[in-house]
Formats: sequence, C-alpha cells, structure tokens
Amino acid sequence: MDKYSLYAAQFLGFKEHFLPKGHHACQGCGVALAVRHVYKALDRYNVAIENANWQIPWSPHLPLDTTSHPNTTTPSLLTILKKGKDEQISAPLMICFDNETSKNGADTTNLLKRIPAIAAAAGYTYAATACPSHPFDLIEKVRTGWERHGAAYIHILCPCPVAWGFEPQYAVRIGRMAVETRIFPLYEIAGGYYRITCEDEYPRPVKEYIKAQKRFAAWSAKKIESFEQDVKAAYDMLIGQCRTSSSQ
Amino acid sequence: MALGGITFKHEKVGCAMLAGGNAHPYAPGTKPELLPVWDKNLCVRCALCYIYCPHAAINRLDDGFFGVNQNFCTGCGICHRECWFGAVSMQEVD
Ligand code: SF4
Ligand code: SF4
Repeated sequence: MDKYSLYAAQFLGFKEHFLPKGHHACQGCGVALAVRHVYKALDRYNVAIENANWQIPWSPHLPLDTTSHPNTTTPSLLTILKKGKDEQISAPLMICFDNETSKNGADTTNLLKRIPAIAAAAGYTYAATACPSHPFDLIEKVRTGWERHGAAYIHILCPCPVAWGFEPQYAVRIGRMAVETRIFPLYEIAGGYYRITCEDEYPRPVKEYIKAQKRFAAWSAKKIESFEQDVKAAYDMLIGQCRTSSSQ
Repeated sequence: MALGGITFKHEKVGCAMLAGGNAHPYAPGTKPELLPVWDKNLCVRCALCYIYCPHAAINRLDDGFFGVNQNFCTGCGICHRECWFGAVSMQEVD
C-alpha cells in the first residue's frame, strides 16, 4: 500500500531555501515557520526577494524588552514587488507576519484581523488571512496573491511561544486553535468577493484558546465572555459579507 | 506604510534579530536537550513533520523516511506533536 500512497505535503517539494544559519529564531517560532512556507510557495516563480539570500525578515520586538525596542506596535512586513509578464507596471505583494506582540496584544486582535478588509477597501485586489498551522491554505493564498494582477496583502498570524506564554511544542496547535475557535478566521477577499477558506460547523470554545496561553492569565471571566461575544459578532459579520458579496 | 491607522515596520530581509530572546537557552546550532527520533514502523511518510518544522531541520532520507539535522534542530518538539501516528518521539541524545 505504501508504494501507492500519496500525501499532499510531498507535492510541495523538498527544496529548502530558508536555511537557519543566520537567524536566531526561538524554539517553535511561528514567524520562522510562516517565512519558510512563504518561500516554499514562491519557489516556483523564481522570485528574487529584494536582495535576500532567502533569509528571514525579522521582528525583534518581543514585549520582554520594550525599553530597548520602543516600536513594539509594529508587526513586521515583507514586501515583494511583482513584475507583470508583459507590462512594466509592478504591484506589491505584502505579507504581514503578525505575532501579536504589540503593546496592547490581544486588545488589538480584532482590529488587526480586519486589516484585509481595510486593504480590500483601499484598492488591493487580493487580501487574505493565513496561519502556518494550515500550510496548504497559506501557500495557496501566497501563490494567488502573486499571480493576481494588482496589489495583494496577506496577513499571517504567527504564534509566538515566548510572548504568548505556551510550550514551544504547541506552536502549531495554538495556531490551529485560533482558527478553529474563529478568533482568527481564514478568509480571502478576491476582487471584492469574500470567501471563508476554512470553515468548521462547530467551532471550538474560545475559552480553550484563552486558557492555553499565559498572556491571558489576568483576564477575568467577564472579559472572556465579552471577548467571546466579540469573536462571534466578528464572525457573523464576516459571514454576512460573504453572503452580500456573492449575491451582488 | 499605514493602513487603517496601523503602521507597519518594514524589515530588511536578511537582518538578524537584534536582541536575544530565545525561548530556551538553545539557539539553532547549539545542542538541544531532546532530539526527535523517528520510528520507521509507525511512519507512513506523510511529510507532515517536515512541513511543520520551523527551522527546516528535517530532511528527507533516500528511502523516503525523515531524519533530523542536528545542527539546525532546536528541540522544540513540534514534529513530535504534529505527527498523527506518534512516530516521532523526543529523546535525550548524548
Ligand atoms: S508526520 Fe509522522 S508519519 Fe508523517 S512523515 Fe513525519 S514521522 Fe512519518
Ligand atoms: S524538534 Fe522542532 S526544530 Fe527539531 S526537527 Fe522537530 S520541529 Fe524541527
């Protein structure tokens, strides 16, 4: 049986551009994982990512030393200029690696998740959210962003074991949990059309995600409840947008 | 760049982390406590462990199974967590 079994991950190829020689990523780093997936996705297009030797765009802003890095409210952004096949006009593919280590942390969560919508309103033809816990989805979105005409924006949630306070081995699970609890729904806005790309009929309870991380340790039951409602409202809004955009 | 009132920081690709902040006193390249060990009887070669390793420390062996590059592995244990078949275990290696 083994001879004929096929697994999706094997189709991505085993060529590695991102060698960890020069970077100092922690154990279980979500940014490093996301960067690796992005490079894997762009492998087939022969992209010269700026003048990079296929290395990592790094965000050194951990909340642990806010004094030496005052700009902690800035998620790191990788911009790649796409050159059209025939035309000279180039448009950017922007990828934001968001590890939510900004000062307000989870309080800005809802705002950050709306950025693709803001980007779409600002004229980006493709905007999406992604998470390295769903690598095929992420890779598909990066490739779509690259292939479509016009500017593209992809917002990637990268679990950070240090800032969020969980064991490094759960990094991928926490990302998956964020998607399954609908705190970070995976969706894309392609030319004005909303589409949820990863849908669970029965979401996980939001509490699981909160309890798994030390950064929420100070949250009271009341706050968790209101957060739960926020998450639900945001998701309902998203579904509404999917419906209205497809019925137009 | 500003988008909806949020500013981003453009990172130069290729720059390294400026300050330390490792989750564990094992940077890539130093020897971790625990290293993944594959059980070839359980592994179905689905490559999930490979795709989820943040440090690209897992390489495919000639027979289709997977092995670890000890210089890159940080011992985070994601491969151990993500294998559906429990084929990867973290073991002390001296
Ligand atoms: S995830 Fe498990 S079964 Fe799949 S290739 Fe890795 S060790 Fe083998
Ligand atoms: S322990 Fe972590 S760094 Fe080492 S091979 Fe497994 S996933 Fe990669």
